[in-house]
Amino acid sequence: MNIFGFHYRLERKGIGLVLAIIAVASIGGIVEIAPLFTIHQTVETDPNMRVYTPLELAGRNIYIREGCYACHSQMIRTLRDEVERYGPYSLAVESKYDHPMLWGSKRTGPDLARIGGKYSDEWHVRHLYNPRDVVAQSIMPAYDWLMTAQLRIEDLGEHLEAQRDVGVPYTDEMIAHATADAAAQIAPDTPAAEDLKKRYGAATIIHSFADKPAQVTEMDALVAYLQILGRLTDAAGKPVAQTGETQASGTQVGEAQAGEAQ
Amino acid sequence: MTIYHDTLVWLAKSAGLFYLMGLSLIVLIYTYWPSNKKRFNEAAETIFQDEDKPCR
Amino acid sequence: MIGQLTKGERQLALVILIFLGLVGLAMAAGGRHDPLGAHGALVIVCALAGLMAVIAAYFDPEPDPERLDRYYDDPSKIGIVIAMIWVVVGLFVGDWVAWLLVNPDLTFDAGWASFGRLRPVHTTSVIFGFGGNALIATSFYVMQRTSRARLPDQLSPLFVLFGYNVFCLLAVSGYLIGVTQSKEYAEPEWYADIWLVIVWVTYLVLYLRTLARRKEPHIYVANWYYLAFIVVVAMLHIVNNLAVPVSLGHAKSYSLFAGVQDAMTEWWYGHNAVAFFLTAGFLGMMYYYLPVRAGRPIFSYRLSIISFWGITFFYMWAGSHHLHYTALPQWVQTLGMTFSLMLLVPSWASATNALLTLNGAWHKVRDDATLRFMMVAAVFYGLTTFEGSFMAIRPVNSLSHYTDWTIGHVHAGALGWVAMITFGSIYASVPWLWKRESMYSPRLVEAHFWLALTGTIVYVMAMWNSGIVQGLMWRTYDDSGTLAYSFLDTVIAMHPYYIARAVGGLLFLIGALIGCYNIWMTIRGVPSAAPRVATDTAAESPVAVPAGAAAFRSGE
Ligand code: HEC
Ligand code: HEM
Repeated sequence: MNIFGFHYRLERKGIGLVLAIIAVASIGGIVEIAPLFTIHQTVETDPNMRVYTPLELAGRNIYIREGCYACHSQMIRTLRDEVERYGPYSLAVESKYDHPMLWGSKRTGPDLARIGGKYSDEWHVRHLYNPRDVVAQSIMPAYDWLMTAQLRIEDLGEHLEAQRDVGVPYTDEMIAHATADAAAQIAPDTPAAEDLKKRYGAATIIHSFADKPAQVTEMDALVAYLQILGRLTDAAGKPVAQTGETQASGTQVGEAQAGEAQ
Repeated sequence: MTIYHDTLVWLAKSAGLFYLMGLSLIVLIYTYWPSNKKRFNEAAETIFQDEDKPCR
Repeated sequence: MIGQLTKGERQLALVILIFLGLVGLAMAAGGRHDPLGAHGALVIVCALAGLMAVIAAYFDPEPDPERLDRYYDDPSKIGIVIAMIWVVVGLFVGDWVAWLLVNPDLTFDAGWASFGRLRPVHTTSVIFGFGGNALIATSFYVMQRTSRARLPDQLSPLFVLFGYNVFCLLAVSGYLIGVTQSKEYAEPEWYADIWLVIVWVTYLVLYLRTLARRKEPHIYVANWYYLAFIVVVAMLHIVNNLAVPVSLGHAKSYSLFAGVQDAMTEWWYGHNAVAFFLTAGFLGMMYYYLPVRAGRPIFSYRLSIISFWGITFFYMWAGSHHLHYTALPQWVQTLGMTFSLMLLVPSWASATNALLTLNGAWHKVRDDATLRFMMVAAVFYGLTTFEGSFMAIRPVNSLSHYTDWTIGHVHAGALGWVAMITFGSIYASVPWLWKRESMYSPRLVEAHFWLALTGTIVYVMAMWNSGIVQGLMWRTYDDSGTLAYSFLDTVIAMHPYYIARAVGGLLFLIGALIGCYNIWMTIRGVPSAAPRVATDTAAESPVAVPAGAAAFRSGE
C-alpha cells in the first residue's frame, strides 16, 4: 500500500484548478520580484565597503538569536524626522552583505542602523547588562548572561564559507584565519590584531569590548557588531543633500535619491 | 545576454497591466456565463445534504 | 486511532517512523556540539512516541470494511483538540510578552525567557499551531462533506497532521534555545523547513485525491480557498526559505538573498502568508460553516468566485507596502500601494457576501453564540481589510509603520477575524464530529463570545491609541524647530496602553480556557450541568444544522 502513490486518477478539474491558482498567484510575484534580481544595476556601489569581521558576524548572529530585531529596526526611512533623529537615511548598499536583512518592522526601541560609534563600548556593556542601570525607565530586557557566555569561535571559518556561498566576498585567507581573527579582535596591540587589520581594514575596532581580556564572550561579539552598525561603508555620508529643503514633519527627504537611486 | 533592470521594470508595468485586465475579463465572463448559472446555484445548495456519509 | 489503519498502513507507518527516528539520530550525532543536536533528540522522541503507539495497537483487528460508508473524522477530531492546546499556549505566551512590555522584569533570569525569544513563540503558536491545525482539521471535514467522498486512505491524513505538529514543535522549541532565521513568520531553520515541504506536498496530494473521488460534479468554493491556501503557501515557503546551512551539523543557515532583495522576498512572503494562510484558508472555513450553521446558502455564489480570483491575484503584488520610504525602489512601493487599495474590492465582497447570507437568519445570530462568532468575524474581516488598505497609503504608512498601530491592525485581523471564525467553526464541528446534540454548555459559549469580543476591542483600541500617539510624538517639532520628544519619552507614554492591552489579552485568554473546558466536557459526553433556566432558553434552542442534525440521526 503506497499512500503517496496516485491510487486514484487525479482528474483534470482538480489539477486544472491548482494550475490556475499557481499561474494567477505566481505571475504577480514574478513580475514584482524579477526586476529586483537585476537590482545591482540600481544599487549604489561602494568599492570600499568592507565585510563583517568574524567577531562582528558572530555578534550579528547573537542579535538574531536574541530577537533584538523584534524591537529595533535597522532602516532609517526617507522622512525628515527620522533623518534628524537617527542620521542619514539608509541606502540599499548598506545592507548588501546582510544575509538576512534586519530592517525590522517594529520600533519598541530606537532604530539602530547608525548606532555604531554613538556610545562607548562600556556604555553598551552596562546597558545590555541591565538597561535600567543606565536608562531608568527602559523596558528593554536585561542580557546579563551574555557577559559570562563564552563565544563559540572554532567554527567561524565554516560560517564565513557559507557566507561566501551566498555571495559575500570573503577570501580564502579570511576563512582560514576566522577563529584567530575573532580572538584577535579583543586583543589590541598583538601581532594577530595587526593581521586582522590587514584583512579587514585599518579602521577595524579592536578592543576588549566586555573588558574580559582572557575570554571571548558573547557580549564582546554583540558590542563589536553594534559598534560597526552603519559604518561598513560611508556611502550614506556622501554629500547628498540629506535634509533637503525644509519640509513639513513626516514628509520625505530626497526621495529621488533614495527611491530610484542610480 | 544581460537583462536590463529598466527593461524588466517596463515589462512589469506594461505586461502586468494587460495581464490584470485580461484576467479580470476572463473571470467575469466565466462567472456570468449564462449556462453556468444553474451549476452555481446547485453548488450553493450542495452543502445542505441530509445524509452525513459518503456517497458510494 | 491506530485501529483505523489497515495492516498495510500500520506497516508503512512503522517504516516512516523508523526513518524519522534515523533522521533524528543523524541530526543528534552530526549536531552534537550545536542546538541541532537537541532537535535531533526531539525528533527521536517524537518518532519513538509514534512507534510505541503503532506497536501497541499493531495486532488489533483490522478496521471493518463498513468504515468506507462513513467519513474518516479521526484526524479532524485530533486536529481540533491539538489546535485548542496550541491556542492556550500561544495566548498565554502572548499575554506574558504583553506584560513584559509593562514590566520587563516579570520573567526568569535566563536567555530562553527573554522577550525576543518569547515573541516568536507567541506568533508561531497562534498562527501555525492554532491556525494551522484548525485549518487542517476543518479542511479534512469540509473536503469530505462537499465532495461526498471519504478520504482516500487512513494514514496520510494522520501523517499530515502529526508531521505538521512536529514542525511546529521544532519551531517553537528552537526559538527558546536560540535557533531562528529571524525572518518574520518564517523563523524556523532549514531542516524544519525541508520537513514542512514534505508534509505540505503530502497534504496537497491528499486534497487532490479526495477531490478526484468526489461525487459532486462541481468543486464547492470553500475547497478553492483551501486549495489556494495549500498551493500558495508551498510556493511562498520554498522561495522565502532558500538558504545555505553553515554545515550539515549546524542549525544555523544564511539566507540566499541579502539586503533589499531579501527584504522584498521576506515581505512578499510575509504579506502573502497573511493573505493565503490567515485569509484564504479561513475564508474556506467561513464559506462552509457560516451557511451551514445559518441554514441558508451563501448569498451570492458568483460573488464568492469573483472575490476568490481577486484575492488570489491582487495579494501577490501588495507585499511592498511593508517597505514604504525604505531603500526599496519607489516604483515597487507605488505598485504595492495601488494593489493594496484594489484589494479592498474582493475583500469587502467576501465580507458583504457573508453578512448578506445572514439576512433572514438574524434571529439565529441573536440566539446562537456560535453563529455570532462567525458573524463578528466577518465584520472584523471587513474592518481589518479596510484598515489595511488605508495603512498601505504611503503618507498614512509614514505615520503607522514601526508603531503599535500595525500591532493593532494585526490583532484586529488575528483576534477579530482568524480566532473568531475558528472558534465559531470549532463550536459548530465539535457536536457534529462527536455526535452530540449540542455543546456541553451553550451558556459557556456565550461567555466565551463576550470575553473574546471585549478582549479584542480593548486590545485594538489600546494599540490604535498608542500607535498614533507614538507616531505623532516621533515627528513633533517644538518652536525652535527641533524634535520635541526623546525616544524614551515615547516609551514612557506607551505605559498605560500596554497595561490595557495586556488586560484585553487576558480576557481573550480566559475565554479560550472556558472554550477548552466546554469542548472537553462535550467530548466526554457529560450532559449539561446547568439546568435550563427559563430566561435563557433562547441560547439553547436547537439551531437548524442540516449536516449536524443528519449526523446525529445517522447516529453510529
Ligand atoms: C522589548 C523590546 C527590546 C528588545 C527585545 C531589545 N531592546 Fe534595545 N531598546 C529597547 C528600548 C525600549 C530602548 C530605549 C531605552 C533604552 O535606551 O534602554 C532600547 C535601546 C537600545 C539601545 C540604545 C539605542 C540608543 O540610540 O540609545 C541599544 C544599543 C539597544 N537597545 C540594543 C539592543 C540589543 C543589542 C538587543 C538584543 C540583544 C536589544 N536592544 C533588544 C527595547 C528593546
Ligand atoms: C486588504 C487586506 C490587507 C491589507 C492591504 C493589509 C495591509 C497591511 C499593512 C499596510 C501593514 C503594515 C505594514 C507595516 O507598516 O509594518 C500590515 C501588517 C500586518 N497585517 Fe495586514 N493587511 C490586510 C489584511 C490583514 C489581515 C486579514 C490580517 C490577519 C488575519 C493581517 C495581518 C497582518 C500582519 C500579521 C501584519 C504584521 C506585519 C508586521 O509584523 O509588521 N492583515 N498589513
